[in-house]
Parts: sequence; C-alpha cells; structure tokens
Amino acid sequence: MTKHKVDPITLSVVRGVLETTQREMTLTLEQTARSSVFNLAHDYSTALFNHTPEMILQGQDIPIHLGSLIPAMKSVARYFEGEIHDGDLILHNDPSYGGSHLIDTCMYMPVFHEGELVFWTVCKGHLTDIGGPVPAGYNPNATEIYAEGLRIPPLKIWDRGKPRHDVLNMILMNMRARRDQEGDFNALIGACQVGARNLTNLMKKYGKQTVLDCIDALLDMAEAHMRKLIAEVPDGTYSGTAVLEDAGHGFGDFDITATVTITGDNCHIEVSSPPQIPYFINSYEGNSHSGVYLGLMMFAQLPPPYNEGLYRCVTTDMGPMGTLCNARSPAPHMNCTTTPMETLTDAVRLAFEQAAPQKVSASWGHANGCNIAGWDKRHDEEYVTMVLASIISGAGATSSQDGWHAVGPECCFGALTSGDIEMLEHSYPIIIHRYSLMEDSGGAGKFRGGSGTCWEVEPMDGPMTLVTFGDGRRIPAMGAAGARSAMVRPKVGRLEVTRDGETQVITENVIETIQPGQRAANHNPGGGGYGNPFERAVEKVVEDVRNGLVSLEGARLDYGVVITDRETLTVDHDATARLRDA
Amino acid sequence: MHNQYRLGIDAGGTFTDFILADRKGDVRIFKALSTPNDPTQAIRNGLAVIEEETGLSPTEIISNADLCINGTTVGLNALITHNGAKTGLIATRGHEDSIEIRLGHKEDGYRYDPDYPPATMLVPRYLRRGVSERVLSNGTVHTPLNEDDVRDACSHFLREGVSSVAISFVWSVLRPEHELRAAEIVREMMPDVRLTVGSQLYPQVREYTRTSTAVVNAYLAPILQRYVEKVDAYFRELGARHPVRYFQSNGGLALGRVVSDQSVYAINSGPASAPQAALWLGEPWGMRDIITVDMGGTSFDITLTRDGRANVSKDIDFLRYRIGIPMIQVETLGAGGGSIGWIDSMGLMQMGPQSAGSEPGPACYGRGGEKPTTTDANLVLGYLNPEGLVGGRLPLDAAKAREAIRTHLADPLGISVEKAAYGMFTIVNNNMVNAIRRVSVERGYDPRDFVLNCAGGATAAHITALAREMGTRQILISKLASGLCAFGQILSDVKYNYMAPVAARLEGADSAARLDALFDGLESRGRSDLRDDGFTDDQISIRRSLDMRYVGQVHECTVGIDAFEVTEEALERLKAAFHARHEELYTYSEPHSAVEVVNVESAITGAVDKPGRMTLPPGRGAATARIDTRQMIFSPDGRAQATPVYDGALLGAGDNISGPAVIQEVTTTIVIEPGWTARLDPNGAYLITTDDSASAA
Repeated sequence: MTKHKVDPITLSVVRGVLETTQREMTLTLEQTARSSVFNLAHDYSTALFNHTPEMILQGQDIPIHLGSLIPAMKSVARYFEGEIHDGDLILHNDPSYGGSHLIDTCMYMPVFHEGELVFWTVCKGHLTDIGGPVPAGYNPNATEIYAEGLRIPPLKIWDRGKPRHDVLNMILMNMRARRDQEGDFNALIGACQVGARNLTNLMKKYGKQTVLDCIDALLDMAEAHMRKLIAEVPDGTYSGTAVLEDAGHGFGDFDITATVTITGDNCHIEVSSPPQIPYFINSYEGNSHSGVYLGLMMFAQLPPPYNEGLYRCVTTDMGPMGTLCNARSPAPHMNCTTTPMETLTDAVRLAFEQAAPQKVSASWGHANGCNIAGWDKRHDEEYVTMVLASIISGAGATSSQDGWHAVGPECCFGALTSGDIEMLEHSYPIIIHRYSLMEDSGGAGKFRGGSGTCWEVEPMDGPMTLVTFGDGRRIPAMGAAGARSAMVRPKVGRLEVTRDGETQVITENVIETIQPGQRAANHNPGGGGYGNPFERAVEKVVEDVRNGLVSLEGARLDYGVVITDRETLTVDHDATARLRDA
Repeated sequence: MHNQYRLGIDAGGTFTDFILADRKGDVRIFKALSTPNDPTQAIRNGLAVIEEETGLSPTEIISNADLCINGTTVGLNALITHNGAKTGLIATRGHEDSIEIRLGHKEDGYRYDPDYPPATMLVPRYLRRGVSERVLSNGTVHTPLNEDDVRDACSHFLREGVSSVAISFVWSVLRPEHELRAAEIVREMMPDVRLTVGSQLYPQVREYTRTSTAVVNAYLAPILQRYVEKVDAYFRELGARHPVRYFQSNGGLALGRVVSDQSVYAINSGPASAPQAALWLGEPWGMRDIITVDMGGTSFDITLTRDGRANVSKDIDFLRYRIGIPMIQVETLGAGGGSIGWIDSMGLMQMGPQSAGSEPGPACYGRGGEKPTTTDANLVLGYLNPEGLVGGRLPLDAAKAREAIRTHLADPLGISVEKAAYGMFTIVNNNMVNAIRRVSVERGYDPRDFVLNCAGGATAAHITALAREMGTRQILISKLASGLCAFGQILSDVKYNYMAPVAARLEGADSAARLDALFDGLESRGRSDLRDDGFTDDQISIRRSLDMRYVGQVHECTVGIDAFEVTEEALERLKAAFHARHEELYTYSEPHSAVEVVNVESAITGAVDKPGRMTLPPGRGAATARIDTRQMIFSPDGRAQATPVYDGALLGAGDNISGPAVIQEVTTTIVIEPGWTARLDPNGAYLITTDDSASAA
C-alpha cells in the first residue's frame, strides 16, 4: 500500500498523535487569547511543518489561512537559512514574505531534537490591531500598504531562548489596545510551545527516524488521494469567471478568471485578474493560494487531516506580478482575505463546476462586515475589534440539502464562531439590538441557500468609529445547477445607518461615526441555491414561509408558489402550477 | 444509610442494571431488559428477578430501602430521537435566532462535507417569539417589558398546541425582573404548560448558552415529569418510606421534583457516577487521582478525579446542543467491543467510530456480522475465551473473526491476520489514549500521575495495554467492574448547584465583600434546600468554583476552592490559585495582569451513608485457580506464546498473578500483559502494578 517501509500500525498511531498535538495547540490559542477575533471568533490557524519545510498537518481551522501558511513558512525558513537555532522564535506578518494580510500575525517555533532542526510549530491569528492610521487595520482610503499597518518581515523575538524585549516593545508600541495584543502574542507563543512539547515526546517514544518516515508516508498518501480525485476528472481545460463588484473604489467591476487544466492526475490552475489598483483589495501571492485551494477543496470535499501532500499534484500561476491576484508591494491589501479572495474562490469553483458537475455546490455568501473602535469609559481605555458576528453569511446549497444558515462567509467555510452577544457587550461598550436570520436572504433553488444574518449595533455612551469592508452588496452569492433568484435585493448585503429616524443604506466600504442613540445594522448575504427553484417541493416552501425564512412575495417570485392566506398558509395549487409551468 | 438495603436502578439502552447492597457489604448485581415505552415495567421485571434469586419480595426490599434511580435514557432518548415536547421560546426581540445561528459555526471535521446536515431545531423558528424588552450589560433597563408582546406569544403558542415554554432574555442574569414578569403572564395564560426560565435554571453570563440550556430543559421537562411521577407512584405503592432519588449528570442525586423541573441535569448521567465509584475503590489505598475508563459495545467513556474531585465541564455541546450547567466531564469516544476496523481513503487502518453494535455484532458472534471488530481482534489474540463470554452463554467463532480480519484488513495491508489483529488492538488503544488526553493533558494534568480504574465489561482486556501506552503504573479493577456505574450511584450524595454571575475585578475590599455576600446567599439557599430534604448541618458540605480570567480574555478558567470568608486578603489566595491553574493549563501565567471573575457557583452536597465493603476470604495461592493455558499474542510481530488462564471466582484475598496471564471473571476478562502483576485485595478489587514499580515500592 505504501512505498515507505513503515509499519502501517505505527503510521496510524503517529497520525493520531499529530492530530492531537494540533488540537491542543488550537485549544491553547482559543482559551487564552485576549482579542475576541481570536478567542470568540476562531480567526486563527495552527500547523506543523517538517524541516524541509513542508506542511505535515494543518488544523481544521480557517480556510483563509489554508494556503498562505505554506509559502509563508518557506519564506521565513529561507530568510533565516543557516541561522536557525534551538530556542529561537520568529514573528512575521508581511505579505511580501508569503503572509496573507498584515493583521494576520504568524509565530514560528523551530523544534530541535538532539541538536538538529526537525520540525516547526506555527500559528497564525488575526489581531485586533496592527497600527496604522485606521483602527483594526482596514483602511478603505489606503493607496499603499504603508497606510495599513506595521509591516513585520521575518523577525526573531527570541534568540536562542532569550526574549528580545526591546524588539517586542517596539512592535507593541505601534499597536492600539496594547494589552490585548500582548496577550495574543502570549497565546500564540503558548500554542507553539504546546506543539513543540508534544512533538519532542513523540520522537522520544518512537525515535526520530520512525516518526519522519511515518510523516513522509502520510504526505505521500495525501498526494495519492488527491491524484486519484483529479484523475477522475476528464482531461481538458475548464474555465470560470466571477465578477468582483466595485465596492467603492470607482474603477468599476472586474472579472477574475480561473483556468483549470487537468492532465492525467495533475492539475494546473491559472488565474487571470486586472492590474492592481490603489485600493485595499489587492491580494499578494500567498493569500491567493488560499483562495485557489478553497475552490479546490470545494471540489475535493476531503475529510481531515490535511497536509501539503494534497497539493503536490497542483501547480498554480497567479498571473503576472502587479495584478490584483498577484500584487506587488506597495499595493494596499488589507481586505484581501475576503475581497477578492472569495471571488477568486468562486472562479475556481466555477471552473470545477464544468470539470466535475456531479460534485458541485453553490457559492456561499461573501463577507460584508465591519470593524468598530472607540473609547471605553468603563475602564478608561481604547477599544478596537473586528466584529465577526457582522460577517456571518449563509452557506451555499449542495446537491443533497439546503445551505446551512449563518455559517459563512465563504472564506471561512463555517470555521468561525461569532461570539456570544453578552460577551461582546461585556468586552466593548456597545448594545447589540439584533443578531438574527433574514427573510428571503437565502438564494432560491430546488435546495435553498442558507440565510444570512443581520447584526445591529448602537454605541453605549460615546461615539463609535465603524469601518466597513468586503463585498456581496450588489451581486448575490452564485447559485449552482440552474438556481436563480428573482428577488435579489434581500439576498445581498448592505449597511443601514439610522440617525434621527432616517435610514441611510450604504453599499460601499466606508468609515462612519455612530453616536449613542443611532444604530448601524449590517446585513450579510445569504448563500446560493442549488437547482431550479420551481422544482422545490411546495411543502418545503410553505415550511420556509411558516418559519419566516421566505416571504409570501418570495414564495411567489422565487419559487412560483402562490399562498393565499398568511395565517393558514393555504396554497393555491392551480395558480402555482400556472406560474411554475410558465 | 437509613435502611437495611440500598437499591440502585440504572436504566440503560439495552439493559436495566439493579444493584442491591446491604449494610454488611454484600453487593449483588441483577439485570433485566430495558422497556423504553414503560420504564416501570423493567423495574417490575428486575424486582421479580431479585425475588427469584434472593427470596426477597419487592415489598420487603422497597419498604426497607434507600432508592436511587438513573433514568438517564428517558431524557437522552427524547433528545436523540427529537421526540421531546412541542416547545415555544420567548426571547428578547432581535435575538430569537441565537439557537439557530449557533454562533455561526459548523462543527470541525465536516468543513467540506456537502451532506452534513445542520442540527435539528428543538424549537423551530415559528415557535420562537421575540418580545420588546432589553436590559443592558450594566444591569440597567434600556427598554421595559412589553407585556402585550408576551400575551401575543402565549396566544400563538396556545393556537399551536405548545406544551412547554422557555423564557430567555438578554442579560436577564443581571436583572431577572422581565423574565419573572413574563413567566407570571405565561402561567396565567397557559396554566398547564411546563415553564423554564433562563435566569433561574442557569444564572450565568452568555446568552446563547443560557437560552440553549433553557430550551433543552423545556424540551425534556414534560417527558421527565411523566417518568418521575410514574416511578414515584409505583414505589409509594410498594411501601417506600423515603422519597426516590434520581441521579444527575453533576454526579449527585436529587429529588424527583427537582429533576422534573431541571431535567437538563438528567441527560448524560449514565457515566457520571464513575468518579464516585473510583474514589470509593481507591480509598483503602488513599488513591485520589484516578482516571476511570469504561468500554462498552459501542463507546468508551472517560472520567477523571484529581485530589478526590471529579473534573466538571460547563458550557459544552452535547448531541449538538449547547448546555451550560456543570456536568461531570465525560469524554466519549466511538471505541467499543463492536468498533469496526477499516481502511480509510488515504489507505490507513482506522478503528471505529462505526460499530457493529449488538446486532449483527462482531463477526465472531456468528450473527451475520462480516466486519472485523475489536472483539474479533481480542479473540484472535487469544485474550477472550473461545468457548464464550458471560460464562459461556455467548459462544464465539474464531474462524469467522479471522476471516473478517483477513478480508478487510490483513490482505489489503499485506500483513498477517495476527499482525493485523494486534494492529487493531494497538490502534483502538491509541485512540483511547488520545481521548484520555482530553480529560487529563487538556485539563493540565499528566496522566502518568493517575491510577487507571476499569469499568464496563470490555475494558479489562485493554487495561494493561492502555496503562503501558499512557505510562500509568497502577490499575484498579473491581469484581463489580461491569456494573461499576450503577454501583457508583448508590454511593453518591445528594448534590445541587447554585450559580450567579459577578463580573468583578479581583481588587479591593468592595469586590471581596460582594463575592462573600454572593457565596453566602447561594449557600444559605443550598443549606435550606438540603435541610428540607432531611439533611443535618454536619452532613452538608460546600465546594465553590469561580470562572476567572485575565481582564481582556474571553474564556474563563474554572478554579475550584473550599468555602472560606472572602476578605480583601483572601483575594490574593484566589488570584494565586488562578495564576497557577492558568500556567498548568496553558504553559504560562501573567502574575502582573488584572484578574476578573465572571461567574461563581457553589455545589452543595448532602452526604449519604455508604454501604459496607466486601470481605473476601484469603486465597490459597494463584496456582489453585489456574484452569487453562491458551496461545496469546502480546507483541506487534504477531507471535503467540502459551499463557495461563485463571478463574477469578477461585482466587482469594492476597493471591498474586504475574503477566502474561488472563483472569476470567463472569462478566469480564482481565488481560495482564508481561511485566504486570495483579493482586486481589480482600475488598474485591485487583490492584495491578508494573513490575518495576512493585520492586521500587
């Protein structure tokens, strides 16, 4: 079965220990981090690498980080080649070195055994702030990366076991809400240590060589698995184009095209995007890997565990340097993990929809969220955070079921958690008036897309800065297999700001100040539907109406179902048949 | 023990276990088939079995017994099959959907699975009604309760035929008035429904957890109420002189009316009595750090006690529903005797979680099962008696076991059947060891510091291998191991949990005084409830826990302490305990950072007298109990060696058996690997130690 001379039983055991190690690293991050983005929202990832460095295990964490940790780790190892010592600890965030966006900060700990570098334990997490002119990093007015936050190239914060307090202090001096950032650094370091401890024990128990042989075998097995899936797809070239909506930069909509070429058990994915723009939606190469890999995983639908062997048969070309999906410094980029990543994922998914139509599922709602900042009078300190509850969109429907409600956005694929509203109100001086599903927001289809959510906030006792990011405010989540929605407006996102009884609808990325007594309601898109909505069983439509997920108007327009009585939900079957046959 | 007998009844999925103990230490186990449709029928049948075997009539026993019942499956089955009451939820307007949004998360392990379904809603959206009201995070009222909204919700529920209602408002824990007023209105308009009020059931911060806990409770309450009323009435008829007590997932007993009001406490109580039994078993040796593992047909349950106290979990997902109340931490793994060995899409051998169950069961049962299971591996390894389990009542077919292993595992992997069988054994053991880390390492404990205690019928075949993998040096196996949980229930005390939110930084005399007053309030309520139940002050004990964290953190770590007056100086003690716990759990602490408390809880226990201990006569040497020699495999190369087999019933106190060996008890088979020695204690438990630890001692 396996090429390596490893005992198949030991192999299963080693795999179990690696998964347990990763789980314990994740748990440490989740339980100890300060920022709600980490600990309530799970916007972090942990991974193990061998010395090559090749990723030997990725957690089931967030897909945004799926691909970018791989080039980032390689870049960091290359930078310090020949200077990596036991007791070092490396910090990094810059996208020129394979990072995703500046606010995602990575910690790398080399693991030595008997004087030799054997492994790396790595974690990455979304901090609440990274310095720069706009709290929480998302600056829609940035025309260069320098206006988005502090750039950290690979940097040793421990040198042979000795912490470099001066260096760390300089970094923290440049960040808002220092206490939270410092706590989050500690959490990242704690997680790396937990990982290193477990890997060291594993080598003590089974011997270094046995462990390394097992890991090689695991990488080979993952490779073989992906090759088998690719080989099932007919050879050929398939392409998908998704439209990236203009979210306020004024350059108009853009096309992003992915071309997938299958040759035997190899897959090449080529991305074509317009030239980079002076707006924060450019994606550097590392981040684009994540977008491409997510589209690939939507096709492969693999269960865990995940390692880099999966991608050995996959080559990528993100297009020429200086384009939207292969940006060059100093392109501004902060929004990249959601926009354009989700559109890039859609393009790859569409290409695979042609290649393997039997495995297609619909697109998920894109992230369309906000960050908040202000002064917390209760403790006389500044607060700043990304609000994950504000980006929870609907999942796409699949060929077997309706999309899940409220597990998006697409770039996170259910890995986030939005945090308890009482804990958010405890941590920040805000009042959350609404966190709910939304009528008619799920894309229409034989299987309906999941509902998006609405998150409505009011500052408690002082002005609050609210910064929006993302897209999906004009173009709804793409359906699959012939799904289409007649009512588009409730299916896309928007920000509604209500001041003195007047409601303003905002569909661009903006910075707004909200006063006590005023409210901002952020609506997130639903997921795409699957199949012809006129084929959806009438009883299911009635059930959705009963549950307030579809309105009477939505039932008629989207599903061709005519309900004559709101109370009894009586269906006019003749009228329904006429509509559906038309 | 007020009475001559103590009778424990544990209604499991297949069997209902009966444990009858008397004052002198005589303990006997009886079994009857469970009758899920009429739970009292199984009790009737069990009492008939007892009468047949002991000559004691039901009236004779019941009129002279303390009664402890575990009805766990009644609530559990309703939750698994989604067969609870038609329930309505009244929530703060704008927050009706929190139980369906579920924090926006899809469970790990299913990230790219297109077929994994969302959790079934216990209260569908059309039965969730928002009302206008709002309390803020500082406890002030932002919007007063609109009573007409509550009335409208009730009218809607009446039209829909709702039989149970949950009320849960945002920040009701800081100011419960709105919930309480809404409850009055519901009682007026719907006098016949069961009512669950979030701030009363689970007064802790976190809206989603509280609402979800209230919903699960409301969903199960009518079911539990019917059950309790029926059981209580049945025993009253038989002349019971004391009220029946019911076992809860917090590890303690409770009166029937408490369980039917707080039914959520009853749902995972099955394995929750294991820690109690473990401590009782370990007491003669002074053992207080014990991990108990219980392997049944399909699952493997793990519990842990540290310094004489069981791990407690709060705020967990159980069967995909968030439940806040403190429960004995039970880590469950799909690994049992029936767990199936298979080769995954990557080409790796895996064990479970799929199980052959009892029908068709393992291949060696010869009932049509063709997949290789843990039991088949144990048979091929020579551990199990080929003549059959349960004293020969269940014969085993070794040829079928070998065939299943060959076809599905050995041939595809290109290894021998013996190697594959040992591999299955190794993988299932390692799965268990990884799961044991969840109650130990993830709680900051080193499993090597613990005694491993064996419960359930299938566990003992794995126990020395597990101990070896974990690095544990001492193992306890009671002769009652197969019914250990039922036994644990009759040893358990009455226990209630009282909770309150705090949100205070641990600084200054004011915050100390607030905490002290809070604990005082909770504990005086607790004492009075237990006094009403007939307990005296000297039987009542208190254990406090505080959910603490560094300011800015969002997850708390729970620190347990004994009751003492909370003064400003005492705050330092609390903080020190927190720093130490944080470091134990996460490798670091921040002694200079501010610490805050979010929630507090007092567990109030009313001690119940314990039954006496078994006394075995001294043995006449292990050789007299040796009944057979079998070929057994103890190494990865699959080579067999001749291994002695002992009959446990012929062993006496003080007898020693060195591995490799197997001891056959009627309901369990103990495998002793080379390097381990078992010694039978007069109290009916085997203590098994590694030879190096024995020589060190």
